[in-house]
Amino acid sequence: MKKTLLLLVLISPFVMAFSGCDKDEDDTNNTTGPGTVSFELTNIVGNVNVDETGATSYTNASGESFTISKLKYYISNVQLMKDDAVTFTMPESYFLVDESNQASTKLSIPDVPAGSYNKIRFLIGVDSARNVSGAQTGALTPSDMFWTWSTGYIFFKMEGSSSASSNGSYIYHIAGFRDANNTNALRWVELDFNGSSLIVDGHRDAEIHAFVNVMKVFDGPPNPISIASHNNVMSTGGVALQIADNYAGMFTFDHLHNDPH
Amino acid sequence: MKLKVFSLWLATITLFGACTKDESSGSEGLSVSFYIPDGFPQPVYTFQNNKITPAGFSLGRKLFYDPILSRDSTTSCGSCHQQFVAFANAGHALSHGVDNQLGNRNSPGLFNMAWFPNFMWDGGVNHLEVQPLAPITNPVEMDESISNVIFKLQRSDAYKSMFSAAFGTDSITVQLTMRAMAQFMGAMISADSRYDQYRAGKINLSASEMNGLQLFRTHCENCHKEPLLTDMLFRNNGLDSVFNKDAGRAVITHLPQDSGLFRVPSLRNVALTDPYMHDGRFISLSQVLDHYTSGIRQSATLDPLLLSSGIPLTSQDKTDIISFLNTLTDHKYINDARFKEVQ
Repeated sequence: MKKTLLLLVLISPFVMAFSGCDKDEDDTNNTTGPGTVSFELTNIVGNVNVDETGATSYTNASGESFTISKLKYYISNVQLMKDDAVTFTMPESYFLVDESNQASTKLSIPDVPAGSYNKIRFLIGVDSARNVSGAQTGALTPSDMFWTWSTGYIFFKMEGSSSASSNGSYIYHIAGFRDANNTNALRWVELDFNGSSLIVDGHRDAEIHAFVNVMKVFDGPPNPISIASHNNVMSTGGVALQIADNYAGMFTFDHLHNDPH
Repeated sequence: MKLKVFSLWLATITLFGACTKDESSGSEGLSVSFYIPDGFPQPVYTFQNNKITPAGFSLGRKLFYDPILSRDSTTSCGSCHQQFVAFANAGHALSHGVDNQLGNRNSPGLFNMAWFPNFMWDGGVNHLEVQPLAPITNPVEMDESISNVIFKLQRSDAYKSMFSAAFGTDSITVQLTMRAMAQFMGAMISADSRYDQYRAGKINLSASEMNGLQLFRTHCENCHKEPLLTDMLFRNNGLDSVFNKDAGRAVITHLPQDSGLFRVPSLRNVALTDPYMHDGRFISLSQVLDHYTSGIRQSATLDPLLLSSGIPLTSQDKTDIISFLNTLTDHKYINDARFKEVQ
């Protein structure tokens, strides 16, 4: 046992040196190596950035003014597509986007095979499997985005104040992962790069920029939601599903960065 | 022990003092294992990614009894789950949380949790590993945030060394905290009552107990299915005709047909776990049986098995059923030193 250990210690620098050498070659000469794609999200309300300090008032289509004090949502199962086919699925892709933590709005998708892609596809929320598999880690660590009393992740959380609300505030916690009982608030989003292709070859920046317009949460389409009628949405089904249909439409592709480094 | 024990896997690991890093963990010489008692079905929680070790079990036990998990460090899991009454809350229809707030459901006994597909009277919690998060975060129970629990544990050198011993890291996470608790809770197996000994052919029951068992099998076993003595389902047993105070299972599913349904509780250790029902409304087993003979209230969701005007039982029948229910008490379990708080 001791001899084996000693041998490992002795040869490991060589192994590391060789693998390091291989990697360098990949980066400099090989255009077929994988790359990292960055998916950057900018949360907006209508046409202005989200101001989470609560100092800015916005007005929804129902004519109700509101502020935003908290905005968080889950994105998972990120896939890249070529034409109409999924050609890459990021394993273990779970991201918690939190407006109060700007680093979290830049999603890193590593080990993307070299190639060209023209769409990104992902799930808003956390797939049902991870809602029924016990205590998770990383972005899925149970937090204030997790219902303890009715197990499951909150997919989308937005809170703020509004004079239209009977108690001066609104709280939207949208969850629900089961098809049974019609309570599934998971929504797939597919963003086309508007005719452009994202090239991944290890030589280029590969960034996808999208806007996330949370005004859609109230205005839809398809479901106009008024704060006066719905100031607290914290259970599954019903209006939560209407809001889910709305948030499915809040992402829009804006542009790519795809220049050689 | 003659009883043949079938094992999914059997991990009996004895840790000796010399190997133990943390003397205060109470894991020295501790023998803990998960096993499937004779006649029990396969468990739901299999410990596949979370094998029981003495260090993990001891950590789970310390967490179970530590009020640090509550907002003001007054209330632990053990506050409302007391071993001498099979981990129910003695004499409390509803339990007290922080600031002396009253909960809204009766604290059930805890045992055989590895066999439960979901937890709570309404089944809202779907996994053993996330079960403790519900009382921890409930505003009328322990009223603490998950992140603050982890913050407090990370400040503690004692916990750091216990997590190191259990999981090889002192980086304390929600997952490891919950897995330690799952090790403790999952090892809480109660299967050595006189009823179990009778089933194993080791003892005879009295005439009254035997008659009670026959009556039980005729009238009660449809729902309180042997050997776990619950079918794990949710049913409306006719306590109320309207459910605006507590809709039970419908709180989780929002389905009208689930209104007024609650988990069928296991009747193991039932003589210890009074008061009874989801709101602790009945103080004695005789009151419970009176409910089933003459107290059933009609409603749209009343369980079909109770649709008749009630279960016909004579007073002698009731006496014998209660004799039988007393054979379900597992004295070994409630005295098992491994489940006691380590001072």
